[in-house]
Amino acid sequence: MKKYTDLEYLKLPKAKRFFVRIASSVCAIPSKILGLFVKLFSLLKALFVGIYNEASDIFLTFKNGDWKTRLSFLVMGFGSIARGQVLRGILFLVFEIVFIGYMILAGGHWLSLITTLGKNGPSSIYDPILDVFTPVYNDNSFKILLYSVLTVFFIIAFLFTWRVNIKQNKIAQQILASGKKLKSGKDDLRSMVDDQFHKTLLSLPLTGIIIFTVLPIFFMILVAFTNFDGSHNGYTNSLFTWVGLDNFNTMLSWTANSQGSVQSYSATFGEVLTWTLIWAFFATFTNYFLGMFVAMAINKKGIKLKKLWRTILVLTVAIPQFISLLYVSKMFAKNGIINGFLMNMGWIDQALPFWEEANWARVSVILINIWIGIPYLMLITTGILMNIPQDLYESARIDGANAWQQYRKITLPYMLFVTGPYLLTSFTGNMNNFNVIYLLTGGAPTNPAASSAAGSVGYTDLLVTWLFKITTGAEAAYNIASVIGILVFVAVAVISLVVYNVLPSIKNEEDFQ
Amino acid sequence: MSEKNISSAIEKRHMGLKASRNLSNTAIYILLVAISIIWLVPFACILLQSFRVESTHQVGYVIPHVWGLDNYKNLLNTDFPKWYLNTFIAAMATAVFQTIIVLCMSYTLSRFRFKLRKPLMRFMLILGMFPGMLTMIILYNVLKDLGMTQANSVPGLILVYIASSGMGYYVSKGFFDTIPKSLDEAARVDGATRLQVLMKIILPLAKPIVIYTILTAFMAPWGDYVFARYISFGTSSGKNVAVGLYDWLNHDQIAKCYTMFCAGGVLVALPVTVLFMCLQKYYVEGVTGGAVKG
Amino acid sequence: MCIFGTEKVRKIERKNTNMKKFLALLLTAMMALGMFSFASASSLAGEYDVTIWVAQEIVETTKAQVEAFNQTNTDGIKINATIEAVSESDAATLMITDVEAGGDLYCFAQDQFARLVQAGALAKLGVAAADYVVNNNASGVVAAAQSGDAIYAYPLTADNGYFMYYDKRVVSEDSIDSLEAVIADCEKAQKYFAFEMQTSAWYLASFFFGTGCVSEWTTDADGEFISVTDTFNSPEGMIAVKGMKKLVDSPFHLSSSSGAEFSSDAGVVVTGTWDYKTVEGILGENMGVTDLPSFEVDGKSYHIGSFNGCKLMGVKPQVDAYKAAALHRLAQYLTGEECQMDRFNKHAWGPSNIAAQASEAVQANPGLAALLAQSPYSIPQGQIHGSWWDIAKVIGDDVKAAADDAGLQAALDNYQNKIAALFTLSDEVKNGWTVIGTVNGTNWDTDFTMLKTNAIWQSTEAFAMEAGTEFKVRKGLSWDNNFPAENFKVETAGTYYVQFDEATGTVSLVAAE
Repeated sequence: MKKYTDLEYLKLPKAKRFFVRIASSVCAIPSKILGLFVKLFSLLKALFVGIYNEASDIFLTFKNGDWKTRLSFLVMGFGSIARGQVLRGILFLVFEIVFIGYMILAGGHWLSLITTLGKNGPSSIYDPILDVFTPVYNDNSFKILLYSVLTVFFIIAFLFTWRVNIKQNKIAQQILASGKKLKSGKDDLRSMVDDQFHKTLLSLPLTGIIIFTVLPIFFMILVAFTNFDGSHNGYTNSLFTWVGLDNFNTMLSWTANSQGSVQSYSATFGEVLTWTLIWAFFATFTNYFLGMFVAMAINKKGIKLKKLWRTILVLTVAIPQFISLLYVSKMFAKNGIINGFLMNMGWIDQALPFWEEANWARVSVILINIWIGIPYLMLITTGILMNIPQDLYESARIDGANAWQQYRKITLPYMLFVTGPYLLTSFTGNMNNFNVIYLLTGGAPTNPAASSAAGSVGYTDLLVTWLFKITTGAEAAYNIASVIGILVFVAVAVISLVVYNVLPSIKNEEDFQ
Repeated sequence: MSEKNISSAIEKRHMGLKASRNLSNTAIYILLVAISIIWLVPFACILLQSFRVESTHQVGYVIPHVWGLDNYKNLLNTDFPKWYLNTFIAAMATAVFQTIIVLCMSYTLSRFRFKLRKPLMRFMLILGMFPGMLTMIILYNVLKDLGMTQANSVPGLILVYIASSGMGYYVSKGFFDTIPKSLDEAARVDGATRLQVLMKIILPLAKPIVIYTILTAFMAPWGDYVFARYISFGTSSGKNVAVGLYDWLNHDQIAKCYTMFCAGGVLVALPVTVLFMCLQKYYVEGVTGGAVKG
Repeated sequence: MCIFGTEKVRKIERKNTNMKKFLALLLTAMMALGMFSFASASSLAGEYDVTIWVAQEIVETTKAQVEAFNQTNTDGIKINATIEAVSESDAATLMITDVEAGGDLYCFAQDQFARLVQAGALAKLGVAAADYVVNNNASGVVAAAQSGDAIYAYPLTADNGYFMYYDKRVVSEDSIDSLEAVIADCEKAQKYFAFEMQTSAWYLASFFFGTGCVSEWTTDADGEFISVTDTFNSPEGMIAVKGMKKLVDSPFHLSSSSGAEFSSDAGVVVTGTWDYKTVEGILGENMGVTDLPSFEVDGKSYHIGSFNGCKLMGVKPQVDAYKAAALHRLAQYLTGEECQMDRFNKHAWGPSNIAAQASEAVQANPGLAALLAQSPYSIPQGQIHGSWWDIAKVIGDDVKAAADDAGLQAALDNYQNKIAALFTLSDEVKNGWTVIGTVNGTNWDTDFTMLKTNAIWQSTEAFAMEAGTEFKVRKGLSWDNNFPAENFKVETAGTYYVQFDEATGTVSLVAAE
């Protein structure tokens, strides 16, 4: 397509300008995606180069090192202790001892079982005197997998520390060679709250994240390659084991006995994903615009009792959702208060099927989500609206712009500019909005076509609530849930990447400083 | 056009503006009143139902026929006080620890420039894209090994709430970004350590975001249902309010416990709401800053 | 060889959870060794810490009953019970999530039975206990606690069926036998007819049973489902869905089964004895209780059927044989005649114990009487596949959405496909080739196995074929892959093996010697 210079572009009539803008951003998608791959490739390249550099550095350190350094390859921290940095050295040494102790006593055992995830399933024995059956539990696949993953993490941490230990030796050797003094233990302590303060600050949060987020996610990804489900719980009934890509196959082609129209998981996934996206779109933008509108209404000059209006609205933010949403879902039931009221007033003669029919239920959850979401957006936009320079409006007014024009030309662009990143996070947040759906409808009404043997799927089910149903349903199919979890991740990641890369980037952190 | 004409035209326009402003203000008032009613009705209903004495199940009317505090009294005979205490302890502890962790994280990411900073932020963004629902079964098992489930659920809950809270650094990082760096640098020139800079200079300035973080951290445990359910695992004394009250709406209990659910709901909502209202100003500052900075 | 006394083993088992991982491993090994030696003394005297999960309603009653057990049992067993309110449906889900942490004794509805056996969450009953259950309970109830030949649970109630409660001011005595008349009465009074058609297979199946359809499942001793006889997709099934459509199309149909609906505009609720006190509390003397009505299709009348099920009490498998024995004694007591009568008197739970059933008070209870009136039309709820509930509950929504008879038929087809898909084929069958045709007197309805040797598939038996016999070979019991393109025709009569070369797709005959 034709490339326009800025000047040419500005000369174009408005309608055409809009068209050109859309066309150019659409045209940009392939190149942006290509750019992503290029980035990915350069990342990989950097990784390999990095590994090579590290390896050669380790080798050179050994080659050029004195005996203290060389011994530190085996006994971590030896060099530091020998050079007088006792505190540092002891920490290294203790870590190494703990690591070796752990590997001998537990880690090695778990790792040795990882290939099969255990061999001996549980058995049962009969005690003829007491006339009871008692189980003998043996291997526990779940624990084997969990502690193996933990051990792998521990090994990585050890390798990293070992590398740091070697680097330290190299640096210490260099410093001593140049005739300077090494840092003392006291200096180390001081640097923890000064030069290295960021490491001190990050250590606790990152440890938490690694153990309670990274490790479980890693585990769940592995589960996608096992047959871990209700009938293979890994301990009390039968062990689970690796099954390769079977779950992904199941996901794609569920019509195992090819008798007819049973929907495959992937088709169901498609349907649920579509609704999840529709929901996220409406939930995000209805709240955004209506919230902004309400904020503007309250902020308008001459409106009194601003604080009262705001306070009433923020009740829905303050009151826990499980109370308000559970109650509201009962209010909208077929024989709930709302229908009762409408019928008593004679406005309708039969109950409205708020939760019974697919489209009603979908519209209802979006509307009730507005009730939950507007106050939050109102609070956010209030602050931002106040930041818009008032002289912009003044000059617009002098030019004779009406309220709508002012909104279109000043307020909206400013808001979109400032809250762009927020819109994205709120979109992905809504994709995973478990509470609203689970508490309001629980996914109902059921979708006959999409429901499969692994659990029923409803028309209002999002991917997350579907996941919840799969893991707590009749089959407790953690393996399939993990596959779906991976797909959810891919969907969210792709959307975020595209939005971040294709849309004009509007955030540059340093700008705000 | 003469001067006089112009001034009268302006006058006229002003009058017109005033009239139209009055008109639009009236429309806005009507709208706001309507919104207020929609917003208040459910809460008013819960409140009214909690005072209903004549029956304990759902009814088709809102205003009780017989008023009384029976439902609140009955709450004391259930495990509700225990659930309330559990949730309160979890909320308090979470408020303290989560605030510390979030501040550590966000301050670091805002103020320090180190090699892994960008990759770290990107990594956490990616982590946030995995559905957390799936990891619950693992967290449950880990906590079980640590002896923090069932009756001991409170420490387990706290651990899980705070462990990954570092990932929610966005809002307060955005706030720290707005505090000029020149302040830090001046203090550093005077010989202050990084720790001293944080404690003596930044924190006093960051009061709104500290309060915002405390407030959100305190509010979250009151509404957690899914994980609290896993971790209490069939033990009444280990439930939090959300799980306990939710169970009262179960098929087999709703007829007896519906009004008690409403009373419990009121008691849960009350402190949270009051606290929220008092600290609303900071909350607004927090969310505004956070949204802008993303 | 028993190093530890069993008493000691028990203590170690309790501490186990707090031990470090590697110690736990060591101990598990020791315990396994310890358990192979049978208990040397049969005295059960001692204290046992036990967790019992029962429905909220009977927590206090159960507490008193356990106390009574402690007083009266002759073995010197003292139970320190922690009694938790866990609803029957939750209990099953929790037990499947984590058997170890579950209650030692727990109650569940029989539809969860197979899932629980499969999860290894139910201890098999010893010989004496099994005899006790068989001899003291109604036979339908015993079947519900049986998987293969073994008994796995103690029947707790036998009243898990449903019937019709109605408001005498809404539904007249003349109408109660006809579904159409009941619907008309409700519509006239603008009151709801609550019958859980859209969210529960348990209620929805009633229409099918009314027309004689069955869904019978068989399990092996491990709780694994082997086969099913399901006739929902049949002319009778069509009649059932036509009847169902009359109900769900009524604007005053409410998909609910809660007795409390009477307080919010319900005129009729189909539910069970557990709601008796609730409904009585709301309606007082206006409460009517009767069996389900009949519906009319094409001039013929069909009495709506029902499930008749029970609740069971299970013992969690215990590593400690003594505790297991004590728990079985306790479970036997809690489900015995005395305790069942106690629960009947206090909570109107219908007993499963034959002696209790025969008592005058039970015979005179109106709720149980209605259940009895319904019983000729009810079928005992046997073992049903856990996924059936999810698959079948969809029919209600499907029927409601159906525009015509074709739509109704589609609903049934959809159902049948999903049932068929439950039994997925093993890889062996999926990838194997079979002979099918007019072979051995069959008529394109039987597959004959083939075995692969040296890349050539050959039928395992030789067929005596006449000239003109036709057949094909196909893969995975499906027609997706079959050879040759035209049916293979035998030209000369004889006894042949069928051979098939997968690489070339050629089918040939080899004369048997």
